[in-house]
Amino acid sequence: MNIPLNASQLDNNGRRVVVDPVTRIEGHMRCEVNVDSNNIIRNAVSTGTMWRGLEVILKGRDPRDAWAFVERICGVCTGTHALTACRAVEDALDIQIPYNAHLIRHLMDKTLMAHDHIVHFYHLHALDWVNPVNALKADPRKTSELQKMVSPSHPKSSPGYFRDIQNRLKKFVASGQLGLFKNGYWDNPAYKLSPEADLMAVTHYLEALDLQKEIVKIHTIFGGKNPHPNYLVGGVACAINLDDVGAAGAPVNMTSLNFVLQRIKETQEFTKNVYLPDVMAIGGLYKDWLYGGGLASENVLAYGTYAQTPYDSSTDMLPGGAIVNGNWNEVLPVDVRNPDEIQEFVDHSWYRYANGAKGLHPWDGETAPSFELGPNTKGTKTDIKELDEAHKYSWIKAPRWNGHAMEVGPLARYIVAYASGQEAVKEQVDRSLATFNQNTGLDLGLKQFLPSTIGRTLARALECDLVVDSMLDDWHALVNNIKAGDSSTANVEKWDPSNWPKEAKGVGTNEAPRGALGHWIKIKDGKIENYQAIVPTTWNGSPRDSDGNIGAYEASLLNTPMERPEEPVEILRTLHSFDPCLACSTHVMSEDGDEMTRVKIR
Amino acid sequence: MSEQSVKAEQPAATVPAAEGDSDMLVRRQTAVYVYEAPLRLWHWITVACITVLCITGYFIGSPLPTMPGEASDNFLMGYIRFAHFAAGYIVTIAFIGRIYWAFVGNSHARELFILPITKKSWYKELWHEMRWYMFLEKTPKKYIGHNPMGQSAMFVFFVLGLTFMIFTGFALYGEGLGYDSWASQMFGWIIPLMGQSQDVHTWHHLGMWYIILFIMSHIYVAVREDIMSRQSLISTMVGGWRMFKDDRPD
Amino acid sequence: MSHIETFYEVMRRQGITRRSFMKYCSLTAAALGLSPAFVPQIANAMENKPRTPVLWLHGLECTCCSESFIRSAHPLVKDVVLSMLSLDYDDTLMAAAGHQAEEALEDTIEKYKGEYILAVEGNPPLNEDGMFCIIGGKPFVDQLKHAAKHAKAVIAWGSCASWGCVQAARPNPTQATPIHKVITDKPIIKVPGCPPIAEVMTGVITYMLTFGKLPELDRQGRPKMFYGQRIHDKCYRRPHFDAGQFVEEWDDEFARKGYCLYKVGCKGPTTYNACSTVRWNEGTSFPIQAGHGCIGCSEDGFWDKGSFYNRLTDIHQFGIEKNADEIGTAVAGGVGAAIAAHAAVSAIKRLSGNNENSEDTSA
Repeated sequence: MNIPLNASQLDNNGRRVVVDPVTRIEGHMRCEVNVDSNNIIRNAVSTGTMWRGLEVILKGRDPRDAWAFVERICGVCTGTHALTACRAVEDALDIQIPYNAHLIRHLMDKTLMAHDHIVHFYHLHALDWVNPVNALKADPRKTSELQKMVSPSHPKSSPGYFRDIQNRLKKFVASGQLGLFKNGYWDNPAYKLSPEADLMAVTHYLEALDLQKEIVKIHTIFGGKNPHPNYLVGGVACAINLDDVGAAGAPVNMTSLNFVLQRIKETQEFTKNVYLPDVMAIGGLYKDWLYGGGLASENVLAYGTYAQTPYDSSTDMLPGGAIVNGNWNEVLPVDVRNPDEIQEFVDHSWYRYANGAKGLHPWDGETAPSFELGPNTKGTKTDIKELDEAHKYSWIKAPRWNGHAMEVGPLARYIVAYASGQEAVKEQVDRSLATFNQNTGLDLGLKQFLPSTIGRTLARALECDLVVDSMLDDWHALVNNIKAGDSSTANVEKWDPSNWPKEAKGVGTNEAPRGALGHWIKIKDGKIENYQAIVPTTWNGSPRDSDGNIGAYEASLLNTPMERPEEPVEILRTLHSFDPCLACSTHVMSEDGDEMTRVKIR
Repeated sequence: MSEQSVKAEQPAATVPAAEGDSDMLVRRQTAVYVYEAPLRLWHWITVACITVLCITGYFIGSPLPTMPGEASDNFLMGYIRFAHFAAGYIVTIAFIGRIYWAFVGNSHARELFILPITKKSWYKELWHEMRWYMFLEKTPKKYIGHNPMGQSAMFVFFVLGLTFMIFTGFALYGEGLGYDSWASQMFGWIIPLMGQSQDVHTWHHLGMWYIILFIMSHIYVAVREDIMSRQSLISTMVGGWRMFKDDRPD
Repeated sequence: MSHIETFYEVMRRQGITRRSFMKYCSLTAAALGLSPAFVPQIANAMENKPRTPVLWLHGLECTCCSESFIRSAHPLVKDVVLSMLSLDYDDTLMAAAGHQAEEALEDTIEKYKGEYILAVEGNPPLNEDGMFCIIGGKPFVDQLKHAAKHAKAVIAWGSCASWGCVQAARPNPTQATPIHKVITDKPIIKVPGCPPIAEVMTGVITYMLTFGKLPELDRQGRPKMFYGQRIHDKCYRRPHFDAGQFVEEWDDEFARKGYCLYKVGCKGPTTYNACSTVRWNEGTSFPIQAGHGCIGCSEDGFWDKGSFYNRLTDIHQFGIEKNADEIGTAVAGGVGAAIAAHAAVSAIKRLSGNNENSEDTSA
């Protein structure tokens, strides 16, 4: 499949289909596509439909508070922004955190990663593959057999168990109040699972709902709550006290460490017995639906994360790097400080740059909102029917790396890691491909299999598995370090702003569940002078840039056939495989927060 | 000065004249009974309470260094807060008593609460007093009670300031007493009015500084007037008698 | 289609006997401080009520309230969604998208006029004709007003809907507005917090469903049962506060002993919430127990009170950014200097002037 990656190659003559709101995502998003006479998508337009102006709000604040503000960028990937903000401030002020804090932060970040991936798959993504109404027709005994085959070690597999769930579902459907499942596309032929597989998946939807609230308790131990645990510049706030007076009232003591270990093990079991087998099984059953690759086979980007040795990115468990033009043989280094590498463009975004600048590096990020609709817009300013993508059409900016649109996320990380020769990842990917080929009788190559909607979803599950395993290592490393006599959790040397330089700038990076995340900060006189975040969904959901390069969402939808254009199952399926996070992606810094341009319909 | 021995016999008769209307009467009077005993008692109770309130209040906002030992052995913050609340109660009850005294006491007892803003001459004298403070008048006027500037300051800084502190103070106190407590029922409405609890704390804290400014000026002016004006001040609040230093007209 | 599952049936189906069911009802009555006379009423309600439709709208927000909601352990959120209420519209979780999603919303509004509960997460921006938050091509504020029109009651989830929260922090570029300023003719229950505690969210809903009435609200429209006290009032570190024992610096010996976090900025004393009692994530812990002070996330405008680590609030009026003590000492210093100067001038005047008016002073 040759995917066109430039607006000039797209055909917007066919029937226009509008999906707004795109549901089961974080935030607000709109998607418009054109389908040709065979109902194949030939043009795609993705629009971020919200803007909150967090960076305007951050200006002039205490840098030590920044984490709390930016954490509220997103309540789904809660904590990842907070962590990245702490890193940006620490980078600017040259603060190094203690090893315990490094490990605890990793444990918290990986908790998020695992939680987010599981919730994403079951509660945001599964209904694109799974038909709960169809599950009513299942034979619970056969479901039980299927469960035992797919995952022999999962204890919840008796026919009675599935019958109970099915009965509950039947009552629910019979009540006539379908709630969340109302108006779903349940008779659309795009759903291909057997009733038994559907029942199994719906059952796991409910199991995952129960489990996800357990995983996050690791945040509650170290950060006090979830969503939105607390972070601290200079380390972590949860002091360690294992054997002294007052240990029982201290945040980290023997009971809380045991508690954390228990949650890690539960998550590990669920990932290995339920999540990963489900993804492999569903992937196999949708073996003919290998659409949705888009940019992934061409350009991917990762900053890298989970350094074994603090501050040494060569020890990253998931390495950073960029691949362009589909050349998996070469992983290019990425420098987030280089003003020429990462730049944001606003030609098709509802912002404007002063002085006619084209692309700007986030440290120099300058933006003012400018909500205007193009001449071919249908509808009015406050009742948009169809957008004009030749003009501005999104609240998301268009970040580019050396001028390339890039895909980020678990799939990008896995491609970069694979291409970098990361052993654990290679083993996981090769094993999954072999299993897939074996189960389906296909003989796909890695480049046919991985860059696809299914590959994206699989990479997420593999990553969850990898990350949860490594949480056990972190836990043991933490215990060993405490055993060795180190119970320090915070570096307070530069806590007091009087110890700061007059001016400083820093950058923090992380791999959020949805992909590469960077925060850039400038500090002046102890206050935030400028703050910019380029988040994963800004990369993936970006509109076109000055050269017409399209973003990952748009690219991924192209060439996908739709069963029924009025029922956007396929669009949702592929968009959801990115796990869109729209509140994250729509950000801006403006000189004067109050100044808003009037809309123009030309 | 031998104040006790020179009590004059005739003060009562000249009290109305002393309200401020310039009368050309050449009086020979050296002492007037101005501050009755309950009022003086109130003054010094308030002095003590405000001192306690300011000190404890400051340490509630910026606590002392951590106490060693077990929590069960210490109650420092508890005592500081108790002292603050107790002094708050006392100053409030005393202030209510003071308001009562404005009704039953002598005419000077009302000066704090009622500014004679309808009287033209009052403004003239206010202006005169201001000029005296700006060193533009050579001679101040004689007053049995408060001079217009003093009276204004007492009203704006002290009466309004203390009322503000009592209202915000009991609103905050009601937070600890509980939603259904009398303090919360009577004063709780102040919290949403100002935003939230933290805002009330901040305003209450600023109010302390407002009162401190008043205290600084009050003491300075009292000392200065004692020295430079034509009547006694500090001793008056102790004994109740106003002494005059000359017999020249007002 | 006609049969609608009730609480009682849900509980029976989950293997609970009639006896235990009645016991549950009396415990519920006791927990809510009601007399035993209410038990039959509760039982009756649970036996006969159909699931109340709920429309859950999302404005400018971060979805943390939805995320928190699904963390609920008692009741489990799957029971809430499958058996207690009918979540007919929630763009974060619903299967349908686009016009099918909008249709689901319209259906419920039409079919259950005056009977459904409107839950709002996030808030509407009013700048730019509301187009900082677009749903179905139109401003979110339109959808909000439309859905509120026929709602029985409105729940404002979280600090966004209740107060404005982070997007309304200074300078509030989108003019994000709490919902009670847009919906003025309906009872609104504010459940603030960023996010609110999961069990508090489901607690408020189950109270309404069980007792068929709105929870009693405080002056600011929050349920008294969860927001009637400050975190400080029930904090397990409170004895250290009363003793005058504080964490002076992060990770010091006092932090390890679990002393009071007041000096490092804890907002527990000014924050009304159930964190120190209900605690977070099934009672696992809460921010203070995890060593970081409360940031006051359930209070109005908590973003704009200066650093989270300062004890004293910064004041932003009059173009300054200082706390009360800084302002106080500065002004007092100024006044002190003025007094000193005035005293000096007075003294000079007095010595040099031979003031004719006070020759006889003996001081």
